[in-house]
Amino acid sequence: MAIGISKTLDDVGRSGNEPPAPQTSSRPAWMSQHLGTAVIGAVAGYAFGHWIGNVIAAGYPNPQSNGENDIAIVLALVFGVVGWLAGIGAFNYPLAKIIGRAPAPEAPEVGWTRFFKYNLDHKVVGFQYMIGVLLFFFTGGLWAMAIRTELLNPTNHYFGPGTYIAIVSEHGSMMMMMATSVIIGPLGNYLTPLLIGSRKMAFPRVEAFSFWMFMAGYLVILTAIPLGGFPTGWTGYAPLQTQATAGMDSYLVGFIVIGTGMICAGFNVAVTIINYRAPGMTWNRVPIFAWSLLAVSSLLTLATPLLATACYFGILDRTVLTSIYVDEHGGSNFLWENLFWFFGHPEVYIMAIPGFGIVAELLPVFTRRPLFAYRVGAAGMFGVALLSFFVWQHHLFDSGINPDMRPLFMLTTELISIPTGFIYLVGLGTLWRSKIRLEVPMLFCLALYFNFLFGGISGVFVSDVPADVTLHGSFFVMAHFHYTIMGGLMFAFFAGIYYWIPKISGKMLNKRLGQIHFWCMFVFFNLTFFPLFFVGILGMPRRVFEYAHNLQVWNDVSSVGAFLLGASFLIFIANFVWSIYIAPKKAPANPWGSLGLEWQTPTPVPFFNFERIPVILSDPYHYDEQDPLPVADLGGGLVPVAAGAVGSVDMPGEPGIEGTDPGGSNG
Amino acid sequence: MSRAGKLGIVFSLFALAVGLVVFTAMSFLRTEPPTVDLAAGHQPGQPVHLTVETVGSVGYGVHPQWVSYLVKAPNGQWVQSTLWNLPAHTKIDVTIYQYDSGSPLRNQQVGQVYGTDGGTATLNGKTIRLVNSNAGSGVGHTFSVPSLGINVPLAGVSGNKICSAAPCLPNQWPHNEVKFSFTTPGVGQYRWQCFVPCGLSYLYGNGGPMQTIGYMGGFLKVVD
Repeated sequence: MAIGISKTLDDVGRSGNEPPAPQTSSRPAWMSQHLGTAVIGAVAGYAFGHWIGNVIAAGYPNPQSNGENDIAIVLALVFGVVGWLAGIGAFNYPLAKIIGRAPAPEAPEVGWTRFFKYNLDHKVVGFQYMIGVLLFFFTGGLWAMAIRTELLNPTNHYFGPGTYIAIVSEHGSMMMMMATSVIIGPLGNYLTPLLIGSRKMAFPRVEAFSFWMFMAGYLVILTAIPLGGFPTGWTGYAPLQTQATAGMDSYLVGFIVIGTGMICAGFNVAVTIINYRAPGMTWNRVPIFAWSLLAVSSLLTLATPLLATACYFGILDRTVLTSIYVDEHGGSNFLWENLFWFFGHPEVYIMAIPGFGIVAELLPVFTRRPLFAYRVGAAGMFGVALLSFFVWQHHLFDSGINPDMRPLFMLTTELISIPTGFIYLVGLGTLWRSKIRLEVPMLFCLALYFNFLFGGISGVFVSDVPADVTLHGSFFVMAHFHYTIMGGLMFAFFAGIYYWIPKISGKMLNKRLGQIHFWCMFVFFNLTFFPLFFVGILGMPRRVFEYAHNLQVWNDVSSVGAFLLGASFLIFIANFVWSIYIAPKKAPANPWGSLGLEWQTPTPVPFFNFERIPVILSDPYHYDEQDPLPVADLGGGLVPVAAGAVGSVDMPGEPGIEGTDPGGSNG
Repeated sequence: MSRAGKLGIVFSLFALAVGLVVFTAMSFLRTEPPTVDLAAGHQPGQPVHLTVETVGSVGYGVHPQWVSYLVKAPNGQWVQSTLWNLPAHTKIDVTIYQYDSGSPLRNQQVGQVYGTDGGTATLNGKTIRLVNSNAGSGVGHTFSVPSLGINVPLAGVSGNKICSAAPCLPNQWPHNEVKFSFTTPGVGQYRWQCFVPCGLSYLYGNGGPMQTIGYMGGFLKVVD
């Protein structure tokens, strides 16, 4: 193993990348800012914004005619978000700097209350994100239960048609918002510095800001329901968007808020990976998961501004009556559709790529083989990311676009299956003739490959113009993207959670409950979504609450599967609560025997991650070696992983920080 | 506290919280206009009298400025609802008091009467098959049931005196009286909708009341 670096440990030890030293806060406890003050700020901001909006615009003709003051609602939501951020303390530091005062000292906090505050520790933010995305996911899941309840019967209705489309729209929007951040939020923020040997993220304040914007987006999109919902689905098409009632404002503001958080998160992760890699962490040693995070960060940073801009235009049309999306006044509703999908299709890969990054990271651990064709995998991720900007018009094949454009976008769409195939084959190559350890994370990884096969191949069908003309807008498309996002991304997410929870929490999740969760989720996922391919081919349209009687059997199968799928997540929640809080079982230092750098750190991971900046010695995939050495020198000498010396750093006595578990094994 | 106790408390609180949230959300989402039952007590072979009115702005409720339909319940009260129970295979005699103004139609097709008994309706006592929306006060709304092939245009009211708060009474406000009959099919729910974009201040007039049950669209719930 060649070190291949010019700096010595002493050169890089505590210099250069040094985070600020811990300080003691002088702020009394009653003045501290936390989730409660954020909620108060949000409510106060909402009320203020609504009031000022009424002062400005209540007398205008539109509010006078239809009784709906969109200016007041948009300002209420915007000021609500500002109040939320002010309440949590996001503005304290920048405002102090602006007015020339020394910002109040910010101590690295310990204890459970830090998880409810504006915390700058990437590990705390990662855990906050994990709870946040689960909240998003379960809320969106409840909407899905409502959808499947309505579709139990073709003609006897549980909801009205307007309510049904509002629920579908809310479900789609929440799930898409969640899915953009489900990996990069919790695991990206928590693991990026640990994967690349950094002591912190590049911009801790930006990182914390991105999380609290993410949660603000959750609240904003929920306000759509009491405001009457919106009828557009998650795509928000104009002109339906422009003529919709007040719930549409929540959609537009919500996506701007979430999008701003996504841009911040993506920018921060990208800068961290590019600039904060430890000495010796050359590009061909960067873990494949970090490559996936870099690819997705690039997409987040480049694509999301389009969405925010498009939503801003929509807000202008709805509030001050511009005509950007109004055809008869010189605008174009096609502009929305193009701007939206120019973001929206990269968005699909924002969701897919990190899932593949996780499974590619985990496969070598559970097969004890080097990652097959590592460089091809990394190149495939960037190939997908690049091509994802050239395919968006396949969403508009049926919308009346110039027919001459359709073959071009059919071609680019089908081209993207090549780098996707690279990524897929990297996984299969690693699995080939390996001795697989069927631990719970590995089960989820294997399920991803099974599910994505259906999702990917059905995607080739709908990328084909003649097939898409028939299948567009049907449940076939719905089944396709649920197989890729739910069957791919969410299975990868749970693989990552089961894999890294021992590092994040220091506790092991119960294996038996994990296996039950997996099998329930896998079986019921397929029971829910596979029948939808049939009903889609038979012509059942999306977003319509009534359907033909002959499709009821498959719809009922799907609904029963959905209820059981929903119940399977209760097993995960039970496992999580049981294993972390009720009957915690201390995790070994390296329960999976991983070579990953993150497993060389103590558990819980200290505030600065590494006492000294590590020197990276190799990539983390040399599982084919007998008694491989750790991938990095942390300053304590090198001892083979098999000897149980991972995490050889003893941290100074910070409160709440433990040293290495000396009794830990590498599993 | 024992593990079982901790577990019980955590799960009880979790179940309670989720249950409360779901109950509240579902209660809110299932809020819809009341269904006015015109099938109860119906004598077989006898027609049912369905009396409705349209008003330019309902004047109360969540959206007081919105245009709306109202229906006269069996007890004589006017109810803002577009969900009506009707008996199956029965002649329905419809009377619509149209209190709203009108305008020329973008789609002249919906100016025709079709799908009613005899393919006609009466407008203030005169039999009509068509309302020329480019003459007079145009057409304000339609009563259209696409799955039954029914369409009846409701001619607009002329003049500046327009009723703007429901219920409007025939002896107090200018109106047009439209009558027609149709026969209900078998049991099922049949969507009906106004096809004249009349959502004032919404783009193309298609927003707001045009998209909301209880205002310009609803269901004929045909029952045994």
